[in-house]
Amino acid sequence: MLRQPLTRALALGAPRVTPLATRRFADQVPAQPDKVELFIDDKPVYVAPGTTVLQAAAQVGVEIPRFCYHERLAVAGNCRMCLVEVERSPKPVAACAMPVMKGMRVKTNSDLTRKAREGVMEFLLVNHPLDCPICDQGGECDLQDQSMAFGSDKSRFTDIHFSGKRAVEDKDVGPLIKTIMTRCIHCTRCIRFASEVAGVDDFGTTGRGSDMQVGTYVEKMFLSELSGNIIDLCPVGALTSKPYSFAARPWETRRIESVDVLDPLGSNIVVTTRTNEVLRILPRTNEEINEEWLSDKSRFACDGLKRQRLVTPMLKDSRGNLTPVEWEDAMVAAARALRDCPSDKLVVVAGALADAEALVALKDLANRLGAERACTEHYFPLDGAGTDLRSSYLLNTKIANVEQADMVLLIGTNVRFEAPLLNARIRKAFIQRDTDVAFIGPKVDLTYDYMHVGDSASIVKDLASGSSSHPVLKRLEQAKRPVVILGADQLQGAEGAALLAHTQELALRLQDKLADPEWKVLNVLQRTASQVAALDIGYQPGVGKALEAGPKVVYLLGADGGVITRENLPKDAVVIYQGHHGDAGAEIADIVLPGAAYTEKRATYVNAEGRAQQTLPAVTPPGKAREDWKIIRALSEVVGEPLPYDNLDEVRARLAEVSPALVTYGDVQPNNYFAQARALAQSLKQPVSGKLDVQLKTLEDFFMTDPISRASPTMAKCVQAVIKQKSSPY
Amino acid sequence: MLSSLRTGVQGLWRASSRALQTTSTLQHDSLFVHRDTPEDNPNIPFEFTPENTKRMEALLAIYPEGHKRAAMIPLLDLAQRQSGGWLPISAMHKVAEVLNLPRMRVYEVATFYTMFIRRPIGKYHLQVCTTTPCWLRGSDEVLNAIKEATGCEVGGNSPCGKFSLSEVECLGACVNAPMVQVNDDYYEDLTVEDTKEIIQKLKNDEKPVPGPRNGRFASEPLGGLTSLTEEPTGPGFGVQDALKS
Amino acid sequence: MFQVIRQTAGLAKGPLSRSLPAFSTTSHRLAKDPVSRHEAPKIDNEAVLTLPQEAREKSALETYIQVPTKVDLTPISGVPEEHIRTRRVRIYQPPKNAMQSGTSNIHHWEMEFDTRQRWENPLMGWTSTGDPLSNMKIQFASPDDAIEHCEKNGWVWYLDVPKTEKEVKPKSYGINFSWNRRTRVSTK
Repeated sequence: MLRQPLTRALALGAPRVTPLATRRFADQVPAQPDKVELFIDDKPVYVAPGTTVLQAAAQVGVEIPRFCYHERLAVAGNCRMCLVEVERSPKPVAACAMPVMKGMRVKTNSDLTRKAREGVMEFLLVNHPLDCPICDQGGECDLQDQSMAFGSDKSRFTDIHFSGKRAVEDKDVGPLIKTIMTRCIHCTRCIRFASEVAGVDDFGTTGRGSDMQVGTYVEKMFLSELSGNIIDLCPVGALTSKPYSFAARPWETRRIESVDVLDPLGSNIVVTTRTNEVLRILPRTNEEINEEWLSDKSRFACDGLKRQRLVTPMLKDSRGNLTPVEWEDAMVAAARALRDCPSDKLVVVAGALADAEALVALKDLANRLGAERACTEHYFPLDGAGTDLRSSYLLNTKIANVEQADMVLLIGTNVRFEAPLLNARIRKAFIQRDTDVAFIGPKVDLTYDYMHVGDSASIVKDLASGSSSHPVLKRLEQAKRPVVILGADQLQGAEGAALLAHTQELALRLQDKLADPEWKVLNVLQRTASQVAALDIGYQPGVGKALEAGPKVVYLLGADGGVITRENLPKDAVVIYQGHHGDAGAEIADIVLPGAAYTEKRATYVNAEGRAQQTLPAVTPPGKAREDWKIIRALSEVVGEPLPYDNLDEVRARLAEVSPALVTYGDVQPNNYFAQARALAQSLKQPVSGKLDVQLKTLEDFFMTDPISRASPTMAKCVQAVIKQKSSPY
Repeated sequence: MLSSLRTGVQGLWRASSRALQTTSTLQHDSLFVHRDTPEDNPNIPFEFTPENTKRMEALLAIYPEGHKRAAMIPLLDLAQRQSGGWLPISAMHKVAEVLNLPRMRVYEVATFYTMFIRRPIGKYHLQVCTTTPCWLRGSDEVLNAIKEATGCEVGGNSPCGKFSLSEVECLGACVNAPMVQVNDDYYEDLTVEDTKEIIQKLKNDEKPVPGPRNGRFASEPLGGLTSLTEEPTGPGFGVQDALKS
Repeated sequence: MFQVIRQTAGLAKGPLSRSLPAFSTTSHRLAKDPVSRHEAPKIDNEAVLTLPQEAREKSALETYIQVPTKVDLTPISGVPEEHIRTRRVRIYQPPKNAMQSGTSNIHHWEMEFDTRQRWENPLMGWTSTGDPLSNMKIQFASPDDAIEHCEKNGWVWYLDVPKTEKEVKPKSYGINFSWNRRTRVSTK
């Protein structure tokens, strides 16, 4: 035992090595007084003091195995898998919790390290069942991989041959997460996620010693809109996806990288498919949007893509029933309706899930027919700068920058359910940077403490004019990086323009005082994935004006929001519905043209920040359904006004003509012209008196908000389970 | 020869029996999940009594602002004492409410410590030490006597509901083995007769005198001191003569 | 005899060999460090002994051969016209599997073609496709290589750069116990 350190000391000769090492780097690397030098496997690395050994190793590309450590969660240090040898340390050291020290020499692949890992694996596997063949994690299991890489081929714990392995009762935490708690290795990642990111402290460890178990103690559903992420976090098969259980193995599926459209943030996803079926959706890391989380709706609503689909064109027959027809008949019928319609009586309405290509094609078609009424379902005030300045309707701060904020003011938006991952960012700022949050609107649970300023719109006016006596005004004015987020829902009514004007005034007044000229304060959070693209392309927000004219033909592009009903249309109006689900829109339609859902087409979506992203086709549209822009292009041919583009590249060239921002995929452009918008809004600063209310108040409202999630049985189960949980005393 | 054959057969039988066995035996006498029962469910209200509210405030005052959660164990103990020696789930909820903590954080603590009992128990909780010193001095007889006298099974309550019996590990009174802890009191140096007498008194709700039963005051030798009996030596004892002044 | 060899081999695997990397790095450091050079550089024996002609040949072999930069393989690659003109290649870095912590096998660039129809084969239930390029996922060390390859083959490509750059924030175990942390309610 003694010989090893001795020989090492002799070999290195501490006084000789240290000056050499410093001299060598003196000429190569500029002096970095605030950095610590250490050696990972003899590779020098400079890191900030306080960094952990594991992080330092990651910087030079050395990956240390881990179970409990997760870079987005607090350090727990309880799995011990990351043990590494540190020279002159008597024992192996847990790399995830050990801060670096100057001149530390870490050996991540020495005999001692390997032995330590093997020992930890042996302990972890004492009570872990050998049920990999029936485990859903099989093939993408950290424990499986790491036991292959670092474990031993046998165990010395023979007593389990007689006593059996520890068995733990499974927990029921809702319709999304399947628990097989015997497989749990107590990494506590799910507990930390629930407590830190989701803000729902329902998980914990009960009991002690070998009887310790992870669970909820009482029978309780995990009431979070981000619950699915604990399935990803679980390094073993203890928490697996219930809808995906026993569906497929990872090696038989194909993964297509795409973008989510069920909330306005455009989270990056990986769509997993087999044959022509979407099996599951996983998040894909995008540090600027969703980090590596995904909301439950985006993750689990994918079974709605298989149900309630429009698979064939349909026409309303003489008895008022929709009957399947061939594309040709539907096209001719639609073209006839469009051609016979006076141009001022044609209304085009774009829905929540419409892509930019279809939007631009449809608007071009309408314009070619002489119609100007192309509108979206959600209203946005057109007075003042209206939608002419992009900064008026976007999240200008950007999702990732919200983390840097020191004060967040939410006006009439329940971010938790309207954009769950933006809320996760705010919560992150709340916890890690001690950001304060103030909220104007009805009392809702945002998973963190906030100052409730009230629910009256006039508060915004008082804050904007600086006449408010509420302490939140002082706090906002002192903030170095304030953020004001206004929910687009609040702009629907008559007072919307005034509320927007006041919010602009407030945000700009705060922004003018900031030391950082790049920091943007004003944010408007849209509700749907299509709204920003539609406004960019030049759609008019809201259908109110269009309906006043008494339209003869209404062309619904996936408009299922329920703003167009048979009641508010003239009796003889022809409704053409193009979309992928049989929902509110198809119900009132005379002609149905089946389109493609977001997993079935290469399409552009612009998220709430104004970031254009594209979805990729993972499967082909079912039945006779086709890509949306192609349907419109074909229809234009039949109408006799052919659109000047024949393939996707040409459509995108047209998009670039409208706005280059629509085709610069992945990037977001900084927004400006705040001062101009403010100047134009001066005349609109009317007094406001209304109450701010939000549409999505509690968790059961969150799950079914669009045609896809309304068609999803999993989402329906979630709603039921949440309602059932409400009556439980826990 | 025969014996070796027997062990071989046993080994075989054992190996095959493992294949049939599906779950291991319960390793702990209490469950670490909650099950609603008529006696213990969240719909039964729990409030601290006025005296205990005062105590609670005093306990909370000990801990500085920001560390109030440190009062969890004392508060759980208070709640346990108030509700008759066991901790109903409503009491845990009350403590969580007082400390402004998620309930799970209280469940974690309450399940970790074995002295928080999460099932209804009798008025008198008899904890018999059966660790080696007590066992050598006849704790089995004491245990059997208690079982007979109260009708309790280990880990259960008596039919009358007055007693609960647990077998516990060393309670630190080995010099006075065998011993039984009844609620907060130790009864030591027990014989079967002593045990029966104690149970009888408890049945009548009289409080037996705690402490050793064989006439000792504490843990001194029974037959008087065997060493250190002489007068203590004075200063300068054993010092060389030359050094004496 | 064999035993002796085995013993010495065993020894070499022991503590001595483990300290070897330390040796080698120091010597490496010596060679690179101009300050520590005390004498003229040693010339390799081979360099002294080679004939001038050999040396010239050797240096000629060491230089790169320049090839024409624009190569169009489409006429000779044998890929049907339809699969050249209508296909679109995505060049990307494979994303980390959200289900796992490890990042092996994703530190490269890949190209893939757009997804075309797939169906379940009624015979065995396996997946069928009419697209011969559907499984052509080629790995590259850099996006430039991938782009060059696509251009050679006449495929329209586009680059998808993942947004995974992240500022490294030092993590600390001690922060779990800081008294004013807002998640102090948690024990984890």
